[in-house]
Amino acid sequence: GAFTTLASSSSLLSPMSSFDLRSYWTSMISLIQSELDAAIPIAHPERIYKAMRYSVLSDGAKRASPIMCIAACELVGGDRSAAFPTACALEMVHAASLIHDDLPCMDGAPLRRGRPSNHAVFGVEIALLAGDALFPLAFRHIVGRTPSLVPPATVLRVIAEIARTVGSTGMAAGQMLDLLPDAGIQAREPADVMLVLEKKFGELAETSALCGGLLGGANAEETAALRRYGRAVGVLYEVVDDILMEQRGAGSNGHSGKMKSNASVVGALGMDRAMEIVDELKEKAKKELKYLGDKFGDGVLPLCGFVDYAVERGFVVEAVGRT
Amino acid sequence: AAAATEVAVEFDFKGYMLGKAESVNRALDRAVPLTHPKLIHEAMRHCLLAGGKRVRPVLCIAACEIVGGDEALAMPPACAVEMIHTMSLVHDDLPFMDNDGLRRGKPACHVVYGEPVTVLAGDALLAHSFGHIADTANYPSAVSPALLVRAIAELSRCIGSEGLVAGQVVDMESTGIEETVALDRLEYIHLHKTASLLEGAVVIGAIVGGGSDGEIDRLRRYAQCIGLLFQVVDDILDVTKSSEELGKTAGKDLVSDKTTYPKLIGLEKSRKLAEELLRDAKSQLEGFDPAKTAPLIHLANYIAYRQK
Repeated sequence: GAFTTLASSSSLLSPMSSFDLRSYWTSMISLIQSELDAAIPIAHPERIYKAMRYSVLSDGAKRASPIMCIAACELVGGDRSAAFPTACALEMVHAASLIHDDLPCMDGAPLRRGRPSNHAVFGVEIALLAGDALFPLAFRHIVGRTPSLVPPATVLRVIAEIARTVGSTGMAAGQMLDLLPDAGIQAREPADVMLVLEKKFGELAETSALCGGLLGGANAEETAALRRYGRAVGVLYEVVDDILMEQRGAGSNGHSGKMKSNASVVGALGMDRAMEIVDELKEKAKKELKYLGDKFGDGVLPLCGFVDYAVERGFVVEAVGRT
Repeated sequence: AAAATEVAVEFDFKGYMLGKAESVNRALDRAVPLTHPKLIHEAMRHCLLAGGKRVRPVLCIAACEIVGGDEALAMPPACAVEMIHTMSLVHDDLPFMDNDGLRRGKPACHVVYGEPVTVLAGDALLAHSFGHIADTANYPSAVSPALLVRAIAELSRCIGSEGLVAGQVVDMESTGIEETVALDRLEYIHLHKTASLLEGAVVIGAIVGGGSDGEIDRLRRYAQCIGLLFQVVDDILDVTKSSEELGKTAGKDLVSDKTTYPKLIGLEKSRKLAEELLRDAKSQLEGFDPAKTAPLIHLANYIAYRQK
């Protein structure tokens, strides 16, 4: 079956070294969790802060975007402290998007990561406002916490990139294209399925890798490679998810840890095409990783690990010791 | 003070406002082009280009000018402020929020485009405002990235859970409750819900214009005064004008049993409070070059004496 084909595909990591993505990932998760915890102290009016914390600090968050951001920063020789505030900001805008996507007038999801979604706990009004507050908090976190070793011009670029990513040509566009067919406003075209994945998932991963590179001082060629790599991995993860879900016979919308696309790639394009897309995306990512590997050596291993993880889901990522 | 008054008398405020509003409208039109996917950009433009007096962006430009900057330099932050203002209105009008179908004399966004697109158009305007202010290509000449970073820090504080959103939350929590809302709570709501964004507009204008810390402080206090003034006047207008005159649903505060200044302290005392705030606001402008204070003096007057 397709799953065997996916899983047996040769690992990018194993021939190169024994780099342990799981340990790297797990150690980062607790650092990110503490910074996020400190970034949203409860103040007056408490309800909004509680709602923001409920979604941002949720257990079981994999923190893929922030970790990719930090890994890209370290890859190009940057200090991870340069990337941490932006990494956390990515998680804040991601949480804001999830809160709004779950609203009754949107996807209408009562559950998120196995527990009640934000509006189910705090009400739709607070949920909307929690999202509205998390966007500016993310930008504020970047400008307020990024160490002074990062030039202000770089901070501005990072903000512009994140704004574009979550905006009307990025994630908001993807969400809209995904929602409209269900709302009966527009027909769902098979070709739109990939566009939705690019917008909803490719863009965030792209920006995560790119911003990490920018903050680490990458040059134009390196940032371009990181951009392409991130986009390929973000879409890859979703296509594989879709294939796995199809094989397990699960419903199309599980609302697990992250955003889900309502449209199914397998449903729209067929299993064979979906498998081809997986291969194409892997090739794309590998090509960029080869370039980055030639340049930076073993530093590229964490980024290789994301590709393997996207395909194989070989381990469960968990935060340690914090809630 | 005498000189300032004289200049103020000669100043063509109407011409100033119309000219600036036109520039702002042109800049907003360029800032949100009708690109793919069309529907969300149509919704954003429907809300953003619906007209309005552009008080916030004009305040931003005037604050930049009073410290020695010019209109072109202030335009990206001015547009950002209007995008945020629009976004907050768009989300506020949603059926599960304030449920208002009329905005700036036109059908609200959700009436035309539906709720999902409205939520997303608001989010996109919010994100775009930061992208717009951060993109150095939007400025006429080299602008200090450090100043823009400072402006972004200020703006993000003014509109988030310590500013605009805090005001909306406390406002929400004060609506439909049995006991009367106390005066200090009402002031908290307005200082956050309304004054915060006016403060943001003025302060970031002064920052990009290269204002000193002292100048920024005085302009901040000016903005806080006119922000509160804006709301006191709004409350007064809500009980004294019709929907047609206002271009939005009038008497809404009464219907929804919302606490307002007239309800809490009476119409006369509300008018007195407005006068005091106007005087305080103007007093903050005394240290500035009298030749440059006219726009902000008139803006304060305008907010105090507007009829809608």
